[in-house]
Amino acid sequence: MRDDQTGTFWQQISGRAISGPLTGAQLELVYSDELSFGLWRGEAPQGSILKAVEKYSSNYESKDWEVRMAKARTVIDFPNTGLQSRDLVLGVTAGGASRAYPVQRILSEKLVEDRLGGEPILLVVGPDDKSIRVFQARVHPDEQALEYYRETTGAFLMDSTGNEWNFSGCAVSGKRKGSCLKPVPATKDYWFDWRNYHPATTVFKH
Amino acid sequence: MLSNSKTHFANFDEMTHSRLRLSLCLIAVCALISIACFAFPIYVIWPFRHQGPTELQFALFVKRIGPWVATICAALCVFALLFTWKSLHSRMARTAAVILFVLALGGAFLSRVNIYEQMFHPIEAPRFESAANAKLDPNDMVIAVRVSGVDHAYPIREMAYHHVFNDTLNGEPIVATY
Repeated sequence: MRDDQTGTFWQQISGRAISGPLTGAQLELVYSDELSFGLWRGEAPQGSILKAVEKYSSNYESKDWEVRMAKARTVIDFPNTGLQSRDLVLGVTAGGASRAYPVQRILSEKLVEDRLGGEPILLVVGPDDKSIRVFQARVHPDEQALEYYRETTGAFLMDSTGNEWNFSGCAVSGKRKGSCLKPVPATKDYWFDWRNYHPATTVFKH
Repeated sequence: MLSNSKTHFANFDEMTHSRLRLSLCLIAVCALISIACFAFPIYVIWPFRHQGPTELQFALFVKRIGPWVATICAALCVFALLFTWKSLHSRMARTAAVILFVLALGGAFLSRVNIYEQMFHPIEAPRFESAANAKLDPNDMVIAVRVSGVDHAYPIREMAYHHVFNDTLNGEPIVATY
C-alpha cells in the first residue's frame, strides 16, 4: 500500500515501509480480532460497523468465498513442511519466536496451551465455535502459568485454582475477578504466506 | 577550385547524415525508456506472479522515478524531432519518428497511472451503522478493533474487496488492511 503524502510503499503484512522517502519506518500494530459478527455485537453493543459501499457492494465476495479461495493458485510453495499451501493457520509471534497453529486443529480442540518464545500462551475458541483469541497464560510475568480447561456446561473457561474466565480473557469470578489476561496478536493466514514472511516459523504439533 | 567545392559538399552531407542517425537513435531510446517506466513495474507486480525482494525493490524504485524519467524522455523526443524533421525526407522515416514520439509521450502519461490502485477501489466516503441496527448474518466474520475506547468492526467480505481502509477512532488515525 502507498501513502498519499510521500508516495512511500508499505508492506501490508508487516507495516514496514519498503520503498520511498520513509523507507525503514514501522507502523505500530493495532491489536485486532477476527470475530463473528454475532459475537462482536454481544461484546460491543455500542460499537459501529462499516457499511457496504453501494457502488461496489455487488462485487464483494460471496459467503462461500473461502471454499473458492482454497483452490486458488499460490505464487510460492513450501513442500515438505508438513502443511499444504492453502491450509489455514493462526500465525503467532511471541518472545521473538513464530509459530503456525492450524486453524482446524484449534477449532476442534477448543483450548490449546503452548509455550512460545519462552512465554506460556493460551489459544481459546469462542462460544460461537468460530472466533479464536490468543492470550498470555499468566497475569504477572513472574508467576506460574495456570492450567486452564473448558467446561462443557456452565462456565466458559476455568483455571485450576477455581477462577472463571470469559472469552475477553477477564476473570468473572474467583480470587482473580477483575484481572485480565493480555491478548497476543495473531494473524489468520494461509500457510504459504505465513511461511514466506516468517521463514523461521515452527508449526504447532502435539 | 571545382574539386575543392566538391569535397566540401560531400563532407557536409556526411555530417548531417550521422547527426540525423544519432537523433533518430535518441528518439527510439527515449521511447523505449519511457515505455519501460510504466511497463516494467506492471510486469513485476502482476497479480499472482511471484517476485523476489530485489526485483520488487527495483520495480518500486522505477515506479517512483518513472513519471520524471518518462517526462524527460518525452521532452528529449520533442527536441530531437524538431531538430531532425526537415532532414527526414521519406514518409516512412517521418511516420516512424512520430510513432516513436507518441510512444514516448504515452509512457510519460501512463507512468502516472497506477492501474493496480485503480483496480482496488478505495472506500472514499465511509459510513457506519450501529451494532444493533446492522443486518449482517451473525456468522459473517468481521475485523474488530477497540481504539481509544471506541469499538469499530469491518466486515471481512467488504475488506477483501477494498483491501485498505483509513479510519479515525476518537481522533486516533489507523489503517485497516486485508
